[in-house]
Amino acid sequence: MVSSFTQGASHEAENPIELSLRQAFESIEPKLRPPFSLNIPNPDEYLELNQAILYGILCEPHFAKTHIKHLHAIVSDGYAFFVNLLVKIVHQLYPKLVVSVKNQLIWVTKEMVHVLGVGFDGLLASLLRQIIEGDFSDGNLWLCFELANFFLDKWNYILEEEPLVLSSALYVYLRLLADHCRSPNNEKLGTLKQLEIDLCVKIVREEFHLCLKIGRDVVWLLQNLFHVPEFRAIWKDLVMNPSQFKTPEFTDISQLYCIRTSSRYFLLRITPEMESYLRFLLTHVKLGQQKRHQMWFTRKFLSEPSRETVIVDLVRFMCCAHHPPNEIIQSDIVPRWAIIGWLLKSCRKSYVEANVKLALFYDWLFFNESVDNIMNIEPAMLLMVHSIPKYVDMTHTLVEFLLLLVDNFDVERKDIIIKGVLSALRALVHKGVVPSIDVLTSCATLSPVLKEGLGRLLNVK
Amino acid sequence: MLLLKDIVPAAQNNIDTRFILLDKGRTTLEGQNKTCLALVADETAAVHYQFWGDECDVFEPGDIIHLTNGIFSYHRSNLVLRAGKRGREEKVGEFTMAFVETPNLSEIHWIPDPNNSKKYVQEYVISPHSRIFPPIA
Repeated sequence: MVSSFTQGASHEAENPIELSLRQAFESIEPKLRPPFSLNIPNPDEYLELNQAILYGILCEPHFAKTHIKHLHAIVSDGYAFFVNLLVKIVHQLYPKLVVSVKNQLIWVTKEMVHVLGVGFDGLLASLLRQIIEGDFSDGNLWLCFELANFFLDKWNYILEEEPLVLSSALYVYLRLLADHCRSPNNEKLGTLKQLEIDLCVKIVREEFHLCLKIGRDVVWLLQNLFHVPEFRAIWKDLVMNPSQFKTPEFTDISQLYCIRTSSRYFLLRITPEMESYLRFLLTHVKLGQQKRHQMWFTRKFLSEPSRETVIVDLVRFMCCAHHPPNEIIQSDIVPRWAIIGWLLKSCRKSYVEANVKLALFYDWLFFNESVDNIMNIEPAMLLMVHSIPKYVDMTHTLVEFLLLLVDNFDVERKDIIIKGVLSALRALVHKGVVPSIDVLTSCATLSPVLKEGLGRLLNVK
Repeated sequence: MLLLKDIVPAAQNNIDTRFILLDKGRTTLEGQNKTCLALVADETAAVHYQFWGDECDVFEPGDIIHLTNGIFSYHRSNLVLRAGKRGREEKVGEFTMAFVETPNLSEIHWIPDPNNSKKYVQEYVISPHSRIFPPIA
């Protein structure tokens, strides 16, 4: 059957959620037209009504207002079930939804925020995840615009009830701005860019504590926007005038360095599909047999040159939000370093490649064994080591980058960075990820200049 | 639901199985009908698959397909799995299936079972992998 929901074709199995919504709608359609019954539905009837109303809202735009009134009249669980259904639809079906259904989805999301439906923060986060990095198609930019506009519109509401949603929005829009500000499609992006800048600046300047919630990753996000006047001003204040942010506990930018960014932020920039494919690859596919899956992944998510920017997010995700258990690490399943190596090699633009290397080494810079996780820093080391000797160019480029990073990331606070990197190296040996750093410093095929640089780093007092 | 390692050539369309599409060949014309040969596999084995008509355009490598009432038999000297007249394919997912490319049941020489001429058994392996769609290095 051809779906009225999605652009799925007749050879595709109908999605189970869509099926249950449609069946509920077809089953009780007469009850969805006014006058509505005043009987209190029993639990099963309640669930069925929720499903039917949702289907009606999404597929009958002209009746949407009637349907929502009906929902308001019968709701008895704070909209929890309804919002949960919406989240499932976004997760499983968003990319395939037809335009009119997407429009309705955004409309009903706004309604749910308006009534503070239980779980509305999760619903907003799930929609944020559907904004695709490096995608300048109308549909994607539309979603970008709708959500940014909505956050500004409903600012007070959201700030009061679920302020963490704004920290998620900040992470997402800072990341998107980096690409939007670089893009040659400037005409198309003009209004959108300004909206995104306004939103981010408002969050940073008025609710700086939300930056503290994000933690260290907010620093590189802001660094990428240094060329944008509004953010250069923020940088100046961050470095020279921390009191501008009216957050008494914030006195120096290095405090941000110490706060490890929670893995939930890294999920925000990869779609549920990307997440599911990557986790599958790293859990079920054997090393040496990943070629076809890699080809399919590339075809689906990295087909256009502008899309390669998402590799930065994929690497942050793999380092920080996907920690394989010991059974997987000790098995023949393809390890994270191999996938990261493949992605790094597929970068065509040098600034993307640089950002990917930064993403790989980021948690090294501030590593503190008592609060940080060795699993965040392990892939970089293993990629360097396993590339010897067959792919020693990779080791070269990574060691070189690490040394450059230590010297240049924060010149004023170089001692903090050196301390972090040395802690990272110590922990990697201590936990047995590598037997010793000699594997790099005594490597015959590594250039003497780099070995010297490493040696100098290791001998810093 | 059969695993691919357990399918056996027969003139019956009773094969229910699930696999992932690894590679598709060029679409050609057989009379007035479009047809294309493909490589499919599951966790246990691989086999050559023949798509017919519009099926050729609709499925892409990486698609996970559920086949019902399929048939595994010789078609113009190729031993292929296909939907045939009574079978049906449905795409049920993408990407999330592990697979092996050996053994390939189309690259096996089958002979009638000495004890039961209606059944076929494996006599010897012609090639461990598909010769038409070799594994990617």
